Amino acid sequence: MRVTKGAQIVAGAALLALAVAACGGGASTGSSGAGSGETPVRMEVGEPQHALVPGLTAESEGAEILAAIYDPLVNYNENKQADPNVAESVSTTDNKVWTIKLKQGYTWHDGTKLTAQDYVNAWNWVARKSSAADATGFMAKIDGYADLNPEGEGTMETVKEMKGLKVVDDTTFTVTLASPFSQFGLMLGYTAFYPMHPKSWEADGKLTAAAQEQPIGMGLFKLDKAYKKGTDQTIDLTVYDKFTGTKPKNWTKLQFKLYTSSETAYNDLQGEQLDIHDSIPATQLSSAKSALGERYHDDPDSAVGYIGVPLAYNKDYQNADVRKAISMAIDRKTISEVVFSGSRSPADDFISPVVDGYRQGACGEACTYNPTAAKELYTKAGGPAKIELGYNADGGHKEWIEATANNLRQNLGVEVEAKPFEKFASILESLQNKEYSGLFRMAWSYDYPSPENYLRPIFGKIAIANGSNYGGYDNPEFDKLVDQGDQAATADESVKFYQQADDVLLKDLPYIPVYFYRTNWGHSTKIKNVSLNLLKQVNWAAVEKA
Amino acid sequence: MGRYVIRRLLQAIPVLLGATLLIFAIVFALPGDPIRALAGEKPPSPQVVEVLREQYHLNDPLLLQYWYYISGVLFRGDFGTTFQNVPVGDLMKATFPTTLQLALTALMIQAVIGVGLGLWAALRRGKAEDTMILASTLILISVPTLVSGFVLQLLLGVKLGLFPIAGTSEGWYSFLLPGFVLAGGSIAYLTRLTRTSLVETLRSDYIRTAVAKGMNRRRVVGRHGLRNALIPLVTFLGADLGNLMGGAVITERIFNINGVGSLLIRGVYERQQPIVVGVVTALVLVYILANLVVDLMYAVLDPRIRYE
Repeated sequence: MRVTKGAQIVAGAALLALAVAACGGGASTGSSGAGSGETPVRMEVGEPQHALVPGLTAESEGAEILAAIYDPLVNYNENKQADPNVAESVSTTDNKVWTIKLKQGYTWHDGTKLTAQDYVNAWNWVARKSSAADATGFMAKIDGYADLNPEGEGTMETVKEMKGLKVVDDTTFTVTLASPFSQFGLMLGYTAFYPMHPKSWEADGKLTAAAQEQPIGMGLFKLDKAYKKGTDQTIDLTVYDKFTGTKPKNWTKLQFKLYTSSETAYNDLQGEQLDIHDSIPATQLSSAKSALGERYHDDPDSAVGYIGVPLAYNKDYQNADVRKAISMAIDRKTISEVVFSGSRSPADDFISPVVDGYRQGACGEACTYNPTAAKELYTKAGGPAKIELGYNADGGHKEWIEATANNLRQNLGVEVEAKPFEKFASILESLQNKEYSGLFRMAWSYDYPSPENYLRPIFGKIAIANGSNYGGYDNPEFDKLVDQGDQAATADESVKFYQQADDVLLKDLPYIPVYFYRTNWGHSTKIKNVSLNLLKQVNWAAVEKA
Repeated sequence: MGRYVIRRLLQAIPVLLGATLLIFAIVFALPGDPIRALAGEKPPSPQVVEVLREQYHLNDPLLLQYWYYISGVLFRGDFGTTFQNVPVGDLMKATFPTTLQLALTALMIQAVIGVGLGLWAALRRGKAEDTMILASTLILISVPTLVSGFVLQLLLGVKLGLFPIAGTSEGWYSFLLPGFVLAGGSIAYLTRLTRTSLVETLRSDYIRTAVAKGMNRRRVVGRHGLRNALIPLVTFLGADLGNLMGGAVITERIFNINGVGSLLIRGVYERQQPIVVGVVTALVLVYILANLVVDLMYAVLDPRIRYE
């Protein structure tokens, strides 16, 4: 009997310990956020990739949160142009030297005055090799970027500041670019170009822990507490009372709720436990339209979906007519409306409709579904008898790739194999290692709202080694036209050059544009006047509680 | 008895060490560059990849990398960091209590409902109730968590508003619905197990003797029948705790619970060795402890079993 008693005690104690541990956990994870009585406006986000640091953020979820904490130099208006915001003016005479003047009166959330130096410090940090910042590429056009990024493994920069950045006075600084770039002003509204608080760094130049968990911003909202990545399920903010721009009329608390599943977030929206959801899943679109009514919105998105062609790796596709025939054999309308339940629209240009320079129907015949002509052209041009279609199996691409494969099979009468890869990066590795030489799916969303962003980073010669030109397309005429656009004197003129470069692409079809993404979003009955800006971020100042 | 427990715990040490090396090597062998994979579809700039690879020792051979990791764990209690520089220890501290709470809720629900239904079915063997219970467990066992989770969330959470839809902001109450969904299949299994085990026990000689002695039915079933029938159930529940903790990925996702399953999946997907190794090792520990508790419970339930 002695044994039994002992066992009882041990077993009982073990169970008790488990229960106590569980209770303790319950208390710490049950953070409901806002302390005061006001119910916050709640928005869905995915977990940000990195700590809340502008330079580390090159993805939409972190950018959405940072956009609440910081205020950009420029805002984008309805005509897709940049309006000065924190900047009083952004000016240049030669597209090379840019002068940025700041408005008076902006302060950091701790009351310190915002100065031109705060921008220069932040941008230099982002550009440094040792910072390993995801958004470093945004600084690459500034003169002196190369000095901060010496080649060779293990060699770190010795120069700490880009020679192209100069502080003129407290509210003015100049940016000299390595070569003229007419679109630089359009880049300035992006996350990477936010300033950083002067106390963000340790003496050795590393970011402080506070700067990563509870950055002091200069925007509409102030963080209530430090954000512990991976632990916290909400990020709570309050309107900064000394903010000089427009503030929301009748509310002050904002909460970002972190979700891993957009279906779950949609259920929360229906149950009014969430106020804004900007990625309603395709499976719920038809029900969302009727359930949300006027609160459902469908806006064009910056992303474009393509079928990539490995021009440099496979001779079979080097005849432009083969690519045109493949393009004509794809039923874009059915793919957009049926396979994607209307969350895409058929692509008819290389430039997305969200930026200036898009021309409706620019792709013309090549992007129009025409099985008979496609077959004829394909046979005449001597296209390959077998087509491989690679896609990454992790991103919900199987359905539309299979649909496209069916189109090609039926319309061109060829053998088509849809080939899944683990991740997008695996497709690229296989291409580079010459293990795979088929077509591949590809998508692009802009980094800054300029037509140039749909051209050079994907199709420029320089992007083969240092960018996203995965097919290895190389056309000097195209590069020259983009250069001319970069150097044009006026915005209108540069758009014209970019459109000419676009025409070259439309003729060559280095990739086959298939669809434009759409942003499907909705809000609860508790708020009104909700709108998204060009970067797909909520215009918080305009939002009102109903 | 105390010596037995200590011996079992000491045996766990090589198991845990072996598990870390094995898992570390498996994650190491996964194809692709984890830093590149992190960047998604846009290529990270080559200098960023280079600096991060250096920083996280990704250029070193497997055993050296393992040494960096295991020496941190053993000598400094440091479970390493993710590629975003978040300490894995913090992530585990945040997720384990949450998932334990979910798993215990599920365990309680399946113990109460499963054993209750099984008991009822066994006592009414061959009657309408028995058939009905068996049929309904068949349905329960065949509905996948993904379906039951979304349907119950939509029905009880969104439409009727009885339970919180998602998240853990309402304490124990928020765990009830996910706990039930997670317990689903196990409830059915436990019901059947209880029924079979009890039916068999009730047929045995000592039960007949007890009934013949004129003992009341409640005491015969409860004291003599159920207690003996519990042994296979306890084995099942103990092993199931580990399953519930590591296998709650789908439930955690549907109910937006920041738990171990989601952390583990992310670790595997992003090839974050410290996450995978830390979480799996902790899960191995949970299995070992749960098994120990189960073994000790045997002695409680059946005085003939002794440990020395």
